[in-house]
Amino acid sequence: MTDVAMTATYGRISRRELHSPRSTAAIAVAVVAILVCCWLGTEIVLRLIDQPALLATPADLAAGVASASMVPTPVLGAITAGCALLGLGLVIVAVTPGRRARHLIDSERMVTVVDDEVIASALAGRAARVSGIDPDSTRVSISRRLATVHVVPTSGQPVQRDSVDQAVRAQLDGLKLRPTLQTRVVVAVGGRVGA
Amino acid sequence: MNNTNRALNRGVVFVAGLVLLAVAALLGLIATQVTLQNGWASVTGRIGATADGWLQATPLGATQNSWIWIVVLAVLLAVVGLLLRFIVRQGNGHSAHLISEQTTNWGNTEVDSAVAEQALQNALGQRPEFLSTRVSTYRVAREAVLKVSVTCRRGTSPTDVLRIVEQALLALDELLGLRLPALLQISGGFRVRTSRSTRIR
Repeated sequence: MTDVAMTATYGRISRRELHSPRSTAAIAVAVVAILVCCWLGTEIVLRLIDQPALLATPADLAAGVASASMVPTPVLGAITAGCALLGLGLVIVAVTPGRRARHLIDSERMVTVVDDEVIASALAGRAARVSGIDPDSTRVSISRRLATVHVVPTSGQPVQRDSVDQAVRAQLDGLKLRPTLQTRVVVAVGGRVGA
Repeated sequence: MNNTNRALNRGVVFVAGLVLLAVAALLGLIATQVTLQNGWASVTGRIGATADGWLQATPLGATQNSWIWIVVLAVLLAVVGLLLRFIVRQGNGHSAHLISEQTTNWGNTEVDSAVAEQALQNALGQRPEFLSTRVSTYRVAREAVLKVSVTCRRGTSPTDVLRIVEQALLALDELLGLRLPALLQISGGFRVRTSRSTRIR
């Protein structure tokens, strides 16, 4: 495989690993459509063999649609609002990028994607070691471009914000993440006793 | 990594959303505009009469039914079939073959994916840093691509994971005599917590 082809393949793989395929929504839509089609088909077959309908005969359905304007306004309003909300939700799902909580790591041999929670737990461990507290007293949240480290110091042992910030930043530099993460360290005002 | 048609996924969701929005807009107009209510009744009445006419004009043999129903049934069946195929196609793209090369005029050499998968699995399986590893092969743009999924313990540095897997991959490159494109996926899971550390001060 040539290098150019390899780069193209790697670009495609990283793009697909960082974004949601929207399979769940698409399958849900397809299943609902299948159910509706099956139900309509059953009603038609029942009509053809002169059997009572499951819910409504095709003629009933047509009459129901035709008399939509006779339906009391609150009911009609509720149906309208339901359809509009669901439709808007689906359109938003279809149009938004749907980024997954993952980052790429630059490396030569392969494409590497790492879940944000793995980065977070590595940062939390590092921050806990530097500030001399229990790993359970640190909390890290990661968005696309920002890692926020919350530290709750053991009471009586102040935590140097700058040293934690430096250590976390050094570790992030070593990771070579793409997109890169800025850091923010928040040291809680109150301490935790005996932690 | 798999060959799910993502544009089609988004298209299906988008069209469904648009249809629902259109229905909502229509119902909203009917609910609020009095003139439209009369218009709606007359339009649906006319359409209903036309459809009735068609059903009368297309008798199915000696019965009282119309063959239009059969056509509608066939269309519904076709739609269901297409949708089922759409669902089943999600997440495909695994491949059982790694390399297939015409080495001589009389035959070609095929290497199964299992070769690379088991070699990597053996190299990575015993690592204490990893809770689980899974190696699979996909076909991306007609080329076999290895996917290594690693679940690691809490606090493991991704750099270490990367280094270990890269070494295993380079060893595999040496073994096979060619570079296969590869993807490494590092994830944590619910099981990633180690036991709580006890510290003595």
